Amino acid sequence: MLNTLNKKMSLFLMIVSIVYLIASFRLPAYTYVPVDADVVPISLGFILLTLSIALFFSKEEGTGQQKAIPKKEVMVILAVLGFVLLYIFLLEILGFIVATALFIFFCSWFLGYKKFITNVIVALAIPLFIYLLFSNFLKITLPEGMLPF
Amino acid sequence: MFEGIWTGFQVAFSAQGLLFVFIGAIVGTLIGMIPGLGPITAIAVMIPITYGMDPAMALLLMAGVYYGAAYGGAASSILLNAPGESMSVPTTFDGYPMAKQGKAGKALAVAAIASFVGGTISVILLTFFAPALAKVAVSFGPPEYFALMLMGLTAVASFSDDSTIKSLISATVGLMLATIGIDSQTGTMRYTFGNPNLLEGIDFLVIALGLFALAEVCSLILERKEKAANMNKIGSLRLTKEDYREMAGPMGRQSVLGFLIGVLPGAGGTIASFLAYISEKKLAKKPEEFGKGSVRGLAAPEAANNGSSSGAFVPLLGLGIPGSGTTAVMLGALIVLGIQPGPLLMSDHPDVFWGVIASMYIGNIILLILNLPLIPLFAKILRVPRPLLTSLVIIFCLIGVYAISFSTFDLYLLVAFGILGFLMALVKFPPAPLLLAFILGGMMEQSLRQALTISNGSFSIFVESPIALSLLAVALLSFIVPILKNRKKKKYDVDNQMEI
Amino acid sequence: MKKQFGFIFLILTMVLVTACSSDSASSGGEDGKWKPEKSIEIVAPSGAGGGWDTTARMAAKVFEEEKIIDQDIGVVNKPGGGGAVGWAYIHAKKGNPHHLFVNSPPMILVPLNGQSEYDYEDFTPLVNMIADYGAIAVAADAKWDNLKELFEDMKKDPSSITVIGASSPGSMDHIQFVKVAKAAGVDIKKIKYVSDQDGGALTAVLNGSADVYSTGVAETVEQVKAGKLKVLGVTSEERLEGEVLSDYPTAKEQGIDATFVNWRGFFGPPDMSEAEIKFYEKKFKELSESEGWAEIRDKFGWTEMYMDSEQYKEFLAKEKEELKKLIDELGLGK
Repeated sequence: MLNTLNKKMSLFLMIVSIVYLIASFRLPAYTYVPVDADVVPISLGFILLTLSIALFFSKEEGTGQQKAIPKKEVMVILAVLGFVLLYIFLLEILGFIVATALFIFFCSWFLGYKKFITNVIVALAIPLFIYLLFSNFLKITLPEGMLPF
Repeated sequence: MFEGIWTGFQVAFSAQGLLFVFIGAIVGTLIGMIPGLGPITAIAVMIPITYGMDPAMALLLMAGVYYGAAYGGAASSILLNAPGESMSVPTTFDGYPMAKQGKAGKALAVAAIASFVGGTISVILLTFFAPALAKVAVSFGPPEYFALMLMGLTAVASFSDDSTIKSLISATVGLMLATIGIDSQTGTMRYTFGNPNLLEGIDFLVIALGLFALAEVCSLILERKEKAANMNKIGSLRLTKEDYREMAGPMGRQSVLGFLIGVLPGAGGTIASFLAYISEKKLAKKPEEFGKGSVRGLAAPEAANNGSSSGAFVPLLGLGIPGSGTTAVMLGALIVLGIQPGPLLMSDHPDVFWGVIASMYIGNIILLILNLPLIPLFAKILRVPRPLLTSLVIIFCLIGVYAISFSTFDLYLLVAFGILGFLMALVKFPPAPLLLAFILGGMMEQSLRQALTISNGSFSIFVESPIALSLLAVALLSFIVPILKNRKKKKYDVDNQMEI
Repeated sequence: MKKQFGFIFLILTMVLVTACSSDSASSGGEDGKWKPEKSIEIVAPSGAGGGWDTTARMAAKVFEEEKIIDQDIGVVNKPGGGGAVGWAYIHAKKGNPHHLFVNSPPMILVPLNGQSEYDYEDFTPLVNMIADYGAIAVAADAKWDNLKELFEDMKKDPSSITVIGASSPGSMDHIQFVKVAKAAGVDIKKIKYVSDQDGGALTAVLNGSADVYSTGVAETVEQVKAGKLKVLGVTSEERLEGEVLSDYPTAKEQGIDATFVNWRGFFGPPDMSEAEIKFYEKKFKELSESEGWAEIRDKFGWTEMYMDSEQYKEFLAKEKEELKKLIDELGLGK
């Protein structure tokens, strides 16, 4: 039954719209306005439900050739995703400069940048430059972390 | 009247004046190139710096920063697919494809020229018509705004070259995302799940950088080994006569249209640049080139958003009403300089009024002179080896978001939208309708409900206003016509499709 | 590759030179039992450009320029949730007296509306610095000339009058109006209030979409001068000073016994020691009396309203009690 991509997506969207609708019906009421906070969301929920049903029966197939991504590449993207999540997690712990330097260095290296010296220079210079620009000039404070400045 | 502007020019053309515009333009461009930092931040951080400066010089510095930041934003949209502001989203549609084809230099030049023309035409309009147009600026109330937003939203139907249903779904999801946060008519918390980070809703930037820039990073990763020779090329800056001929019409029309929309306080800039893109696509002889690196498709939104930026000065200088985020910060800056903009500004302080306008003329010119020679330098960003560029783009997106929200929560959200954007590209859901609907959705819902509260629940309020009624009619037409056309077209060429 | 880095660094140096020249060096030690050991951070629980942000940045600037505090002072924005995100951030800095934040009535209103788990009582109120007041304005050609007339009409037909403000129900613009209206005997549950957060509130009053504009005093001055708006009443105790301001009648002199202060002051994290509080009280007192600060106050039209920690606590407790009654009566309380 779920033989086409459209049908799979449609089912997913139906679930999204139903969850959204349930959350919308649960919104607390506010009595002082003619149109309460839940009216627009409920309408949107039903619109999405209708559209996803229409997608289910739609024959409009994405005409472009589906580019299959090799498994290995998926792993590369997931690894970079892991780097990014780790970076966000460490940003306020290690501080902006350290975390950013580590990210730029390892991410570039992982993606195949082998010029070691240039990589180190860039990984140090860019965070320092941005940090000085932000804190001294723009007066926007980035996380300091363990470094004393 | 011209005495005032003459004095303004004299101040601006002094050695010191030119130096300030120049410094402002450099600093502004640098700030603007970081995705997430646009004119608003750039001017806000200038406020403490200009404190105590001679107001005329401070205004010149601000004008430089303002135009510089706007241009810097266009540059990051073109080079990295990372729009820093909602109004530069349409710049990515044709700007980034051009950069991918190895025409980054040309794209930046087109953007610089279109911004200059848009800025200059609209400042001329501002010079002559500001007092007269001030009345137009207050003619819009909630019903009219609702109709205008709806008209902007119907642009969605025009994005749907591939699948109408998918565009509509994408737009509906965008509207849903806009409902997250405290509802301002009732104070009800909607879908915040007790998380204070969601109370004010999701920031536009999180969605824009996620869906556009981070999703694009995924394809950068996939293509890292293909010696994507094209993108390393910058190409010539030279525009051919043909290019100029292509650009002239869109620039002229959209500067004026952008200016007029910008006059209305509210989401002027975004609507202006989206409408500019859509209307030029409809007027074009070869609409299928749009989205694939069309010079027209790049020039139109750039001219329009610069036009609307000057338009936003009409309510600010004429009435003391800040109509956009940028002019709100500008208002703060003027107050710090000891100038309180209001309806009497023109008669009480003509020197300030004309000083601002003169610095806008100068800011525009200096920026063009400064940036054309710098284009090859900017474009060299693309020569950075692919793996390094990828990590840098990721870092810039993260910093941009962090600099406005200062919370790691928004960074996780940004990554989530990056993943969503990548998946949407895989299954051919266009991201543009989602973003447009998200930008307009909040204000559209609010003005709808404001109108209905005022009318005590009666829909007649939308029909009683001639402006609202005619905007609604246009909205209806522009929604239906493309769908019908699309149906017809589909029968003939099934394979013809286009990505946005 | 190398060349372009050279150029970028050239620009960088230029930027930094201009930036550093605006920084002034700090010097001199001060007596007192406690002294900050490192740089102080002032949090504005909002984005750049708003009232909290301006107060914080201007205070930091004068502190440094007049060398009142010899440590560096940085301003950090923590926007989100009408302040709730910033409050949560400071609450996590318990016992670290190097983090302060700016606040005003939303610190009471937001928790009352159930939108933040932290209340002002969870922090250390240090000093109040300034006050601002609310204004109730209508279009210049409106039929009402004073609050009495407006409220008479409102009692007769509440659905015919739209009140507009920039914030959502339960927050400042709404509550200040409700407070005055209630004292005048209007049924506050029937007030038709519309919120416009996109800057359209003033426009809506000028073009007649809405009738009454509830806002801050400063927003009205230029419009009144130009004859576009008239202010029916302000929420201060006595008439304000200033060329247009002194013409504004207070609600009180019109026989409506209600005031509303938009106070603005500084708070610290929970559990601050007596010595730390004393240090900040002294420094902020100096700030409040400095010339630089007086100049800034004039520019922004703020009124001086210094309170030390003890006075501040009492004041806040009274404010909270009054506001809670209103919010509960409206049924917005959580």
